[in-house]
Amino acid sequence: MSTTVRDTLVRERYLLRFSWAMQDYPRYKPVVRELRTELTATASEVGMRQAVADLGHPRVLADAYLSELGRPVPRWTTGAVWGALAVGAVAYLAIAYGIGTLDTIGQMGGGTLERVFLGATTVFTNDDDALSVSSSLTWQVLAFYACVFTVPFLLGARVWRAWSGTPTAARAAHA
Amino acid sequence: MDAPRDPQLLKGVLPMLVLALLTERESYGYELVTRLHEGGLDDLSAGTLYPVLNRLERDGQISSRLVASSAGPARKYYLPTETGAEQLRRTARAWQQLAATAERMLARATTKEPS
Repeated sequence: MSTTVRDTLVRERYLLRFSWAMQDYPRYKPVVRELRTELTATASEVGMRQAVADLGHPRVLADAYLSELGRPVPRWTTGAVWGALAVGAVAYLAIAYGIGTLDTIGQMGGGTLERVFLGATTVFTNDDDALSVSSSLTWQVLAFYACVFTVPFLLGARVWRAWSGTPTAARAAHA
Repeated sequence: MDAPRDPQLLKGVLPMLVLALLTERESYGYELVTRLHEGGLDDLSAGTLYPVLNRLERDGQISSRLVASSAGPARKYYLPTETGAEQLRRTARAWQQLAATAERMLARATTKEPS
């Protein structure tokens, strides 16, 4: 039975979802490659749809691989999502503050306002000639944003799991 | 009809059963699923077996080789290593002792059941 374009699409769609769920597995790419070979070989016996269905949901399969490691692993992808959400939330608040400030200046008849945050001066201008926000950048501001990303990233990734024992050591200790 | 099987029970013995079947003869992944079905584990899916094969290979309990197939791409055949054979002997012994203990306790509990 040869692999059709449709079969390839079904296989690759499954493997894409599986790869996403496997990102926290150490060196997961060889596992995905091996699964691709296995799926293609199995499909020659039972068809691609059946071969894919027999694997179950990609996330459940990825969880099974992770659980076979015998130890919890850091969730780097989850950490990156948490970090990005935190930076996004702070950026959203900063933009909302900027728009609100410009609007207030406009309501008060226009002009310029300076605010200093962590050594960086931000100038808000709203008059007949210009509507602008300009800001300088200091290392403190960069450090602030780095913290805003890093702290949720490390917590979301459960970084302490990186220091748990190796799978083999954990199993040996368990035996 | 058989009672539904507890997945945790299966999870505990599956590596041992895989090693046992591979000791009989080498197999590729899907063939092993079929052999487990024929052996009575008819609700076992390929998705349950592949992570176990991956772990056994990583732990050096089984080895693999690619064999060309006329019906499709090359297949990965698995065979127990010496470590795997030793592990099978150990877990089989432990399993037999556990099963005997469980059977004795269950037999006692069954005979004491009020009629």
